[in-house]
Amino acid sequence: MAVEIVMPKLGMAMKEGVVSEWNKGVGDSVEKGELIASINSEKIEMDIESPAEGTLLNIAVPEGQGVPPGTVICYIGNTDEKVVTKASNIQTNKVEDEQIETSNIPEPSSLPVSKTNDRVKISPVARKIAQAANLDISKIQGTGPGGRITKEDVQEAIKKLESKPLIQEERTISPQASVERRKEMSVTGMRKVIAARMKDSLQNSAQLTITLKADVTDLIQLQKQSAKIIQTDNENKITITDFIAKAVILSLQEHPQMNSAYIDETIHLFESVHLGIAVALEKGLVVPVIRNAEACTVRQLAKKGKELAKRAREGQLPSEEMTGSTFTISNLGSYGVEYFTPILNTPETGILGVGAAYDAPVYIGEELKRRTLLPLSLTFDHRVLDGAPASAFLQTVKRYLEQPLTMLL
Amino acid sequence: MRPIAVIGGGPAGYVAAITAAQQGQNVLLITEGPLGGTCLNEGCMPTKSLLESADTYELVKNAENLGIRLSSKSIEIEWSVVQQKKEEIVRTLVQGIQYLMKKNKIRLIQGSASFITNQRLRINNGEQQEEVEVSKVIVASGSEPISLPFAPFDGEWVIHSGQAMSLPSIPSSLLIIGGGVIGCEFASIYSRMGTKVTVVEMGKQLLPSEDPDIAEILHRKLADDGVTIHTSTSVTDLNVDKKQILIQFQDGTIQDLQADYVLVAIGRKPRVHGLGIEGIGVDFSKQGIAVDEYMQTNIPSIYACGDVIGGIQLAHVAFHEGRVAALNACDQAEIVNYRAVPRCIYTSPEIASVGLTEEQARQQYGDIKVGEFPFSANGKARISNETIGKVKVLVEPQYNEILGISIVGPHATELIGQGTIMLHAEITTDVLENLIMAHPTLSESIHEALLSTSGHAVHV
Repeated sequence: MAVEIVMPKLGMAMKEGVVSEWNKGVGDSVEKGELIASINSEKIEMDIESPAEGTLLNIAVPEGQGVPPGTVICYIGNTDEKVVTKASNIQTNKVEDEQIETSNIPEPSSLPVSKTNDRVKISPVARKIAQAANLDISKIQGTGPGGRITKEDVQEAIKKLESKPLIQEERTISPQASVERRKEMSVTGMRKVIAARMKDSLQNSAQLTITLKADVTDLIQLQKQSAKIIQTDNENKITITDFIAKAVILSLQEHPQMNSAYIDETIHLFESVHLGIAVALEKGLVVPVIRNAEACTVRQLAKKGKELAKRAREGQLPSEEMTGSTFTISNLGSYGVEYFTPILNTPETGILGVGAAYDAPVYIGEELKRRTLLPLSLTFDHRVLDGAPASAFLQTVKRYLEQPLTMLL
Repeated sequence: MRPIAVIGGGPAGYVAAITAAQQGQNVLLITEGPLGGTCLNEGCMPTKSLLESADTYELVKNAENLGIRLSSKSIEIEWSVVQQKKEEIVRTLVQGIQYLMKKNKIRLIQGSASFITNQRLRINNGEQQEEVEVSKVIVASGSEPISLPFAPFDGEWVIHSGQAMSLPSIPSSLLIIGGGVIGCEFASIYSRMGTKVTVVEMGKQLLPSEDPDIAEILHRKLADDGVTIHTSTSVTDLNVDKKQILIQFQDGTIQDLQADYVLVAIGRKPRVHGLGIEGIGVDFSKQGIAVDEYMQTNIPSIYACGDVIGGIQLAHVAFHEGRVAALNACDQAEIVNYRAVPRCIYTSPEIASVGLTEEQARQQYGDIKVGEFPFSANGKARISNETIGKVKVLVEPQYNEILGISIVGPHATELIGQGTIMLHAEITTDVLENLIMAHPTLSESIHEALLSTSGHAVHV
């Protein structure tokens, strides 16, 4: 009996998973525990290992197609086995009925799905122009009788490609050549979620960014000292980032307006600080949350932060641990970025962007000293608070960072 | 449910009315003139009836060439019968449309309509007035002949095309001002019935919207039929009392002519007066009512179609526009499509074309391929003694797209249907290389003309 491999449910909220890559093809033999596919959901990228030894008999879900959790994505068994599919192994989902139907038709000989151009309705002129332009006619919407693709449709499609600034290169290239260079990626899974959230954030809030730099020379001294102590304990060392997190948490408690969310014309002020820390992944971005961060010491923050980031990178983080933050920190310092305009992780009121620390001469009294400066960018929602209180918050963060002992007392 | 009102019972109007009725709408058709409009009552249909008589007369005169000897030497045209036949055809066809109105439960009102508001019309049938509330209006009021500024139509001597087809007798002489489609059709009809016809055209050639080589073939045949043709010539004065016409040639010299009738065929203008569209703010100009590709005017509940929007003033275009207007008035998104509109001229020989003219094709595509095949090389044309003319095809060289087809010769207006399908379907010539055309037919000429663009024509 062939073994069914189903789309796993990664977190309660998962509605759809996409096979981002098949590592094995139909007919390949697989070992138990061997990697067969990579999948991604809205938030998580995960590898699927074979639960049994055998041959990959059938791929039911092609790369890039979204299916609900529980959908059989492939079968593993002996080569002489017939694949028996059950309609019942599909979780019905109204919105995605069509996709389910297509994904549930096991046609081993025709998978992975490749569209041939032969069955597309297209006029002879249109076909020739499309061929000359190297256009995939299966992607053109026909406006002629019965959806037939006309010359005008192809010319429109070419015009659209030409008008995309992406492919505008300085040297003159024919539209044909530029079409060849194009690689189209369907926006699914994590990218789809990020795209929707970022657009929503910019469209539905009144956000703006203010910046200042904090002198972190003393903080760096303190961090170095702490690192020495903790390394002997065989623990994660504390980084500047962890101290910044602490400074932010303390500042949020002093400025509760910033530890808030704007939801349905109401401002919600939170007592606890659930601190989101943006983590870049190979294929996107996630924001793991340190809950009740106000109760954590710098050392605990360091530990929790590293652990969450590690699990996020491994795709092991359930969605519960990536939602519910009340303020977010985003750090682009390791890329040498100084100031930027972080986009609010809505419905939160604030997000702090941390840049790359740099050394510069600074007047201390009448004397020039070499000091280390840290660029900070705070984006806040002007619907919740105005420039003065937001600046006051940022000032407080700066104060903590410049007088780091105050954080620990 | 308030009705959709259609103003005008011509090709655009009655098709719009039927289409809307088929969509389940309550439809009101208000028409001032008889159903069928210009096309059916004083255009396409009656002229073709006259043409059929002229063709048959010519055929019988030449019957001896085919071995038919007529016992009586005198062949005469009985004009009253020609007229009767024409009237009968028109009457039958108008009845046909009346039947269609009934069948589709369209309320027909004879009278003129004008807008009071966007959705309120005043209907006047000459005796009484009626006001109706409507949901949407489709304006298809058609067009009317343009008159000369210095000589309005009097119906006695200065006549328009509608009057020219109902003359009391075959005139001994006729001066036609305008060498376009209408002028040429009447020249071809009357010259072959024995009238001394003179055509005065301001442009450089007859049929200014067709290619010169195509117009030239007709020019020669008309001249053979006894028509005097003055191109690049204008009419400067019409003296109604003396029935004298002054024409001025390009070099400035002036000549005076005499004729029984002066047919003014210098074009048709949209009929918008009396509609009251200016009062409610419908956008229009001298070219007609402005519409978008959905046949919708600037006022969303008002649509317009047919000759009243200007553009291509042909009955079959009006049919299409009427259908598009009605579907959109019934909340369906239908876009007008002028991709392949055939143009037919019912002269002897017939001229029919579809797509671009050679001049237009060269402007748009630069160097194009031109394929021709003369009917003199076609067996079937030889048998019927109709060897005048040719098929000309215009082909875009890169993809071999067929851009335009012009046919001058026997049954050109029927043959053009093949070209219309080719253009409508966007067929390329290579697809047709190994096409099998029936033999012996006139249609072979189209295939041969297409083959000649790739140098593969067989019979020339």
